[in-house]
Amino acid sequence: MSEPLLSVRDLNITYHGHGGEVPAVRGVSFDIEKGGSLGLAGESGCGKSTLANSLLRLLPAGTEVTGEITLDGQDVLGLSPGGLRAARWTSGAIIFQGALHALNPVQTVGDQIAEPMLIHKTAPSEKAARQRVVDLLGRVGLSDARADSYPHELSGGQRQRVLIAMALACDPHLLIADEPTTALDLMVQAQVLALLDDLKEERDLTLMFITHDLSVLTYACQRLAVMYAGRIVEEGPAWDVFENASHPYTRALAAAFPTIGDTSSRMAPSGLGGDPPTPGSLPVGCPFHPRCPLARAECQVAEPGLRPSGPGRSAACILV
Amino acid sequence: MHPGVTPLVEVDDLHVHFGEARAVDGASLMVLPGEVLALVGESGSGKTTLIRAIQGLQRPTSGAIRIEGDPVDRTTRPKIQTIFNPTVQMVFQDPTGALNPRQTIYDVVSEGLRIIGQGDQESERVADALSRAGLRPPERFFPLFPHEISGGQRQRVVIAGAMVMQPRLLLADEPVASLDASIRGEILALMRRLVDETGLSILVVTHDLGLAWNIADRVAVMYLGRIVETGPTEQILGDPRHPYTKALLSVVPETREMEQQILTGEIPDPARIPSGCRFHPRCPLLQSGSLPEEIATRCPTDDPGPVAAGAASGAACWAVSSPDSVGSALTP
Repeated sequence: MSEPLLSVRDLNITYHGHGGEVPAVRGVSFDIEKGGSLGLAGESGCGKSTLANSLLRLLPAGTEVTGEITLDGQDVLGLSPGGLRAARWTSGAIIFQGALHALNPVQTVGDQIAEPMLIHKTAPSEKAARQRVVDLLGRVGLSDARADSYPHELSGGQRQRVLIAMALACDPHLLIADEPTTALDLMVQAQVLALLDDLKEERDLTLMFITHDLSVLTYACQRLAVMYAGRIVEEGPAWDVFENASHPYTRALAAAFPTIGDTSSRMAPSGLGGDPPTPGSLPVGCPFHPRCPLARAECQVAEPGLRPSGPGRSAACILV
Repeated sequence: MHPGVTPLVEVDDLHVHFGEARAVDGASLMVLPGEVLALVGESGSGKTTLIRAIQGLQRPTSGAIRIEGDPVDRTTRPKIQTIFNPTVQMVFQDPTGALNPRQTIYDVVSEGLRIIGQGDQESERVADALSRAGLRPPERFFPLFPHEISGGQRQRVVIAGAMVMQPRLLLADEPVASLDASIRGEILALMRRLVDETGLSILVVTHDLGLAWNIADRVAVMYLGRIVETGPTEQILGDPRHPYTKALLSVVPETREMEQQILTGEIPDPARIPSGCRFHPRCPLLQSGSLPEEIATRCPTDDPGPVAAGAASGAACWAVSSPDSVGSALTP
């Protein structure tokens, strides 16, 4: 295993709101090796977007973050403001969800893609930046003419590609994609996934991909981590975890997207009862126990930690 | 094709044009009583315009829509009655946006009854609709506001608001696309159960083929304003004929054994529908060069026509020549 490009150790993130302390991420540790890819799955409110934003210190001021984040050999939480600015876009870049809101409506998309290159001086001149914009647009399947378009002139899929082009502008080592395909059609999603695949190959890009759709992650990533109530509850090789989940929550997520042709899911949609817990008031014991089909009395007592569940795998469940 | 069964909904050669744009361009389909029909296709295929026309919210340029044999005629009925036609009810994609944040669950669900003047036994009917939608005991939900319940429960409230009208048809536009994975299955199971228990029909618009596999009896595939393939779900998802359907199926992440056929670009502008077969500029089968000369030369020039109204199955493609394809409709 090569050197990790991103290493996260015992990360805890707490929001301080009007309603008191909200622990959004609770003791998360993981590595992504250089050129590797990790899919992070979980429902709304499980802390996955908070985690993603913390990797480049994009959380609101006043948010309490403890633990260690090492990206590209740099201690992210200890970086000076200047060092942080230098690391954003080049060490790591984010494709945000919600392509419509992440773009400036009164600036052409070409200018928006060029902006980080000019600020970070990764392009020597405006002309060079312009040329690179055209290259990037081509790379994401858009024509050069699109550089002069405003966001409202583009479809959702096109805007999403613009965001990907922008994230790639400064050749980042780590690309964080937060629900990059959730709002897209099946075919556009396939185009975006194929593009990310090519980029991983060509540039040895390291990828962290976040969505609630386990099947997409399994397709796009080598490893998979499933989050529930602010913690990773299962981790391992993606296909292995998807096909043969150890944690009952992973199993439910995997079954939510049926395999077409599998007669057991024909006319039999599979869901999970109940709702995810609110981060501010987690159940005592395993936070999944109120929804768990296999819960026992001891599950209500203590929260299980991650334990080995197979080669290169771990899961946080006492039944493992 | 379905002897003795009167379709609940018949859409016959429907056209809805907006200026030059032919959003719906000769679409025909039917929904039988007690079935779930999944209408699948990409953004811009005209799915939403088609269901708006079925609701009576969009005036067709030409063609006919009949519900239980009665033409949907927007011109002869006051608008409010068209929108609150109890026979046809709607389930929207985003339950949070569909609910008024300042109305209680009781007010939301009972509103339709009051509008059509069927307020008698109102609370019984509201309670019945909520419990049918899986919100039990229903009285507990009466005084709550949308923000006090979860996303999955909100979609159940939207469904209850439709069911209280005792509809024959539910139109559902991406009913689970904005819901979390774990909730998705619950809502789909609810929809299927309502069909099985009450004999309701559902026309569900989606780009999610897994949803079709989970609950639909039949599938209709729409491309640039037309139905290009239709048939029983097992057939369409197990043995698709049309190259567009094949491509769609090949990019579902779960079908990783299949060779992916990623179509380039996006669906063309409905104001500039390609000549001949409207799919030919993106067609992987035509591009593969494997088609016999006499077919390949037809694709860019001759329109294979839509799948015929009332056809149980068929594919609008020159390269499809199996006996159960829609021979008559395909011959110009």
